[in-house]
Amino acid sequence: MIALVLTIAASGQTLNVKVGNVTYQFPASETGDMTYNDGTTLNIMGKTFTLADIDAMTVDNAEVKANQVAVSYDGTSAMVTVAGNVAQYVAPTINGAHVTIAQSNTAAVDDDEITYTLSGSTADGEFALSGSYKCTVSLAGLTLTNPSGAAINITNGKRIQISAKKNTENTLTDGANGSQKACLYSKGQIQLQGNGTLNVVGNTKHAIKSGDYITVKILTLNITSAAGDGINCEEYFQMKSGTVSISGTADDGIQCDLGGDTSTGETADHEDEDSGNIYIEGGTLNVIVTAAAAKGIKAEGDLRISDGDITVKTTGGGLWDSTKLKTKASACLGADGNITISGGTINLTSTGAGGKGINGDGNFTATGGTLIIKTSGNAVVASSNGTLSTVSSSQQLDRYDSDYKSSPKGIKIDGAILISDNAIISVTTTGAGGEGIESKTNINITGGQVTVNAVDDAINSSYSDATKGTSGAGDLTISGGYVYARSSGNDGIDANGNCYIKGGLVYAIGTTTPEVAIDANSEEQKKLYVTGGTIIAIGGLENGSSLTQSCYSASSWNKNTWYAITVGSETFAFKTPSSGGNTLVVSGASQPTLKSGVTVSGGTSIFDGVAYTNATISGGSSVSLSSYTGGGGFPGGGGFPWGGGGPGGWN
Amino acid sequence: MKKIVLMMMALVGALAAQAIDYTYLTFETTDGQKASVAVESLTLNISGTTLTAGSQQFTLSNLAKMYFSTTDETATGIETIDSGQLTMDDSAEIYDLKGHKIENSKLLNRELPHGVYIVKTNSRTYKMIIR
Repeated sequence: MIALVLTIAASGQTLNVKVGNVTYQFPASETGDMTYNDGTTLNIMGKTFTLADIDAMTVDNAEVKANQVAVSYDGTSAMVTVAGNVAQYVAPTINGAHVTIAQSNTAAVDDDEITYTLSGSTADGEFALSGSYKCTVSLAGLTLTNPSGAAINITNGKRIQISAKKNTENTLTDGANGSQKACLYSKGQIQLQGNGTLNVVGNTKHAIKSGDYITVKILTLNITSAAGDGINCEEYFQMKSGTVSISGTADDGIQCDLGGDTSTGETADHEDEDSGNIYIEGGTLNVIVTAAAAKGIKAEGDLRISDGDITVKTTGGGLWDSTKLKTKASACLGADGNITISGGTINLTSTGAGGKGINGDGNFTATGGTLIIKTSGNAVVASSNGTLSTVSSSQQLDRYDSDYKSSPKGIKIDGAILISDNAIISVTTTGAGGEGIESKTNINITGGQVTVNAVDDAINSSYSDATKGTSGAGDLTISGGYVYARSSGNDGIDANGNCYIKGGLVYAIGTTTPEVAIDANSEEQKKLYVTGGTIIAIGGLENGSSLTQSCYSASSWNKNTWYAITVGSETFAFKTPSSGGNTLVVSGASQPTLKSGVTVSGGTSIFDGVAYTNATISGGSSVSLSSYTGGGGFPGGGGFPWGGGGPGGWN
Repeated sequence: MKKIVLMMMALVGALAAQAIDYTYLTFETTDGQKASVAVESLTLNISGTTLTAGSQQFTLSNLAKMYFSTTDETATGIETIDSGQLTMDDSAEIYDLKGHKIENSKLLNRELPHGVYIVKTNSRTYKMIIR
């Protein structure tokens, strides 16, 4: 505060020393003795001027703010004004409107850092800064275009704050076909902030690039075009607040890579962190990417979303990776590490062939927030020479090796999936081969609300070559929460290992035989174990299931009809789909009762409106239920004529 | 928070009120001679080996330093002058210590009360005591 007061109060007589287009301003109260030496030089506050270089010296009452350097662009020229207390540390070079400043100090000046305030407009200029100490670049109404390089190029490896001043709009544009890494580049960390607006266009590569981490808070940042990524950084990326919109990129929206070879993981206060992680902790983030196989947000480390309003859309199709000899596809969110969602509202839309909502190599954990995913592209496949095409039905995919196909999945995770607590997830896939949620390790749902409408398996716990045969590989466990899993062309819930239903409320819908509502890998001696929970399964259960908790089936069910199932004192209303497998199986902690054709009022809507909890139920007719011990489309599997795949079915 | 803002405003006001008014830029040559120049709208021009500041000219190689000052340090001290010996042209200006300008005729007519006055001529500024 003292520094602030001194800054504000610094007024009175000022000696201005003008050298070319640079004016150094020395407050009379601070100059002390200004010494001449041999008639050739003049030293003021540590700054040595060659007298022959001085164009003019004047005294006026200009206010001088300590630590400030102002750069004003005006067409083909630029003026620089340097506060006296930092004059000895700042060496500007001006060529037209191209301003290069070497900052030589290695320590804070007057307990503060140097602030470079840029304003004005030029179609052929730049701001280049070198040095070795942190500083601030304040944008105060700047339109800066550099047709031959980066608009702002900071080779200072320290932390740089880039702040757009309140109520100002600032636009940076670089030239095409250059060698610069970005329109706004800093070798060191970039902290993007301010109450103003910053627009960035990257015509050669990225729009914004840091060799270290990037943080964003408060700022309104619009990246409207980039030949590479919208934002590209290393170490980590953190968005705390503000509004960031990214579109028109030829590659990813935001990409964060590991700076070194080994990840530090997340560190306390991110001190010396090099993790490749992306943290989204607040604000509004809108990303649209259109390139083939592009990612909206991509982390080489972990991706962690704890708050914010995030909308990501990808429209690009698949790509053949001729190096790795495999197909690639777009994804709204991608991470080589783990993905964690604990808050925020996240809308993901992928329309391209093979496009995914989330694609992660590590684990996926959702404990909160609202995640809505929609994919509409068909699966993309490649011939042996890498020629890409799309398929129109999921069945066509079976003849392709995994490297030669990429399916449009809502959530595709190589590691484990854990959904719990207050997580709300809604996934819809409409393209051929579109799975809803898939893990290549295992899936564990202990809470939250999961709603999946998919063309292929709605929820699939699978395994990879790496995890196949390991304990628990491909297992799927539901012990709490609300789960709706509807597949229009395959299983509702499909575990390639064992499937455990221990609790929660599960409403699963599979298509007709041989697919089922809830499947386990009986071909490899795996089972469905039902030991608890409330279950509604249209399409029946896998043959050979272990039903410790009694299950019951109805001889038929009506499509597009509201039903109510009551278990003990709890009643749950649900609407049947327009299609699905023949058998309707229900189960609960006690023997359920079922009514068809009910009228539903009040209550809490879940599963995107196809079910209600705590609703008032009226009307309808009772549905006769019979004991059910298994099914799966194999005659006699349940021991009853309607035990899955038997007579009945929807009307 | 409001208290902090008020305190800051008070501090700013206090510091601003105490800001020193540097009305002169004083040049000191290598032989120790000083010459002060009023800074109001002052321009310093360097041409060749000469620096011009207002009405003053200096050879650059003779300059040792310059600094802002609150007083005209050109004057070397208080001179006691017998008013009978005083000769003044019409362009000289006389001020009392309150800054009020005094008509030259009062000095010449020996109408000035005893006290200290500032006399500013074309060539110098000095203090004058009337006893």
